Amino acid sequence: MKLKIELREDVLKDLNTAASFNRDLFKENQTLVINLMSSPGAGKTTLLEETVKRLADEFKIAVIEGDLATDRDAERLRTLGIKTVQINTVGGCHLDARMVAKVIPEFDFESIDILFIENIGNLVCPSGYDLGQDYKVVVLSVPEGNDKIPKYPVMFKRTDITIINKIDLLPYVSFNLEEADRDLKQINPKAQLKTLSAKTGEGMNEWINWIKDVYRTCIKP
Amino acid sequence: MHEMSLMHEIIQLVSEDAKSRGFYKVKQIQVIVGDLSNVLPDALELAFFYFSKKKMGLLDEESQLKIIHEKAIAQCQTCLHKFEPDFRLALCPKCGLLNGFLISGETFQVESYEGSDEIEN
Ligand SMILES: Nc1nc2c(ncn2[C@@H]2O[C@H](COP(=O)(O)OP(=O)(O)OP(=O)(O)O)[C@@H](O)[C@H]2O)c(=O)[nH]1
Ligand SMILES: [Mg+2]
Ligand SMILES: [Zn+2]
Repeated sequence: MKLKIELREDVLKDLNTAASFNRDLFKENQTLVINLMSSPGAGKTTLLEETVKRLADEFKIAVIEGDLATDRDAERLRTLGIKTVQINTVGGCHLDARMVAKVIPEFDFESIDILFIENIGNLVCPSGYDLGQDYKVVVLSVPEGNDKIPKYPVMFKRTDITIINKIDLLPYVSFNLEEADRDLKQINPKAQLKTLSAKTGEGMNEWINWIKDVYRTCIKP
Repeated sequence: MHEMSLMHEIIQLVSEDAKSRGFYKVKQIQVIVGDLSNVLPDALELAFFYFSKKKMGLLDEESQLKIIHEKAIAQCQTCLHKFEPDFRLALCPKCGLLNGFLISGETFQVESYEGSDEIEN
């Protein structure tokens, strides 16, 4: 006998359960968790290095580094004395909540104030996976062009903050900040836009202050 | 992309449910794929073909995958106009306000499956 079963279940249901599990754990330990996404080379690791340097005096910071294969980005952060755990996805195009859950025991979350997760360089896949973070941040760099916002609307719709990085290169490449701002609002009116250069430090203060603010208002009032 | 692992997820989810209901085979799986779900239907088909040849879970070589497309539709929270958005997902073409809210297009779910309790060889 054949029978049709109306299942109506989200394919990512199990992964979303894992994400809630992570989220509860982060909450219990009052850890602010930021999921950093971008296409390859937009400057996630550089931004992390510069961010960590500016926060390390006040906060205990940890990092999860997602990469296809190498350990290089993790090494860059360890050099700065930051507890960093590498996840190699071996070809996988995004991190998911189960991968994050697996490395959770390697940290002592009770003592960690802020956890940054650097996702795999990819502007499509990581957007669909909840890791249990408090905020999703996407980094778009000036040389990529502002047309990446309309071309990858799903990523920008699902992120809380868009960082335009490498603004030191604005004089050399065509990147229209006004258009970027307009397009972003039309996709996601709630999204916040921040412009900075991780290299020169311009605009870094606003980003750092934002992190301090959310930590003090939302995580540990 | 990641359609192989998504298909893997689907087959596990369905096979587990089917086993718990006493089925021996899964003859067909229906999946809803939204236009904005970032899932490529062709790649899903290919993954399904591969896994059914390998008889993963309760699949066999005759098992079928049916993909139902779901269009992206948004509704303006101000004037209640429903529209098919271009990339400007929040822009209401009628009143021009940035108050559009997606009501469909992001779905990625297993709608149904057909189980069989006949034991075959
Ligand atoms: N001019 C300029 N270059 C930058 C800036 N930020 C990063 N870079 C450079 O961009 C290149 C890539 O930076 P990474 O930080 O490795 O980028 P990523 O996003 O971590 O790259 P993947 O992890 O490989 O995806 C490096 O050569 C950086 O020095 C910036 O603000 N201005
Ligand atoms: Mg990096
Ligand atoms: Zn309207």
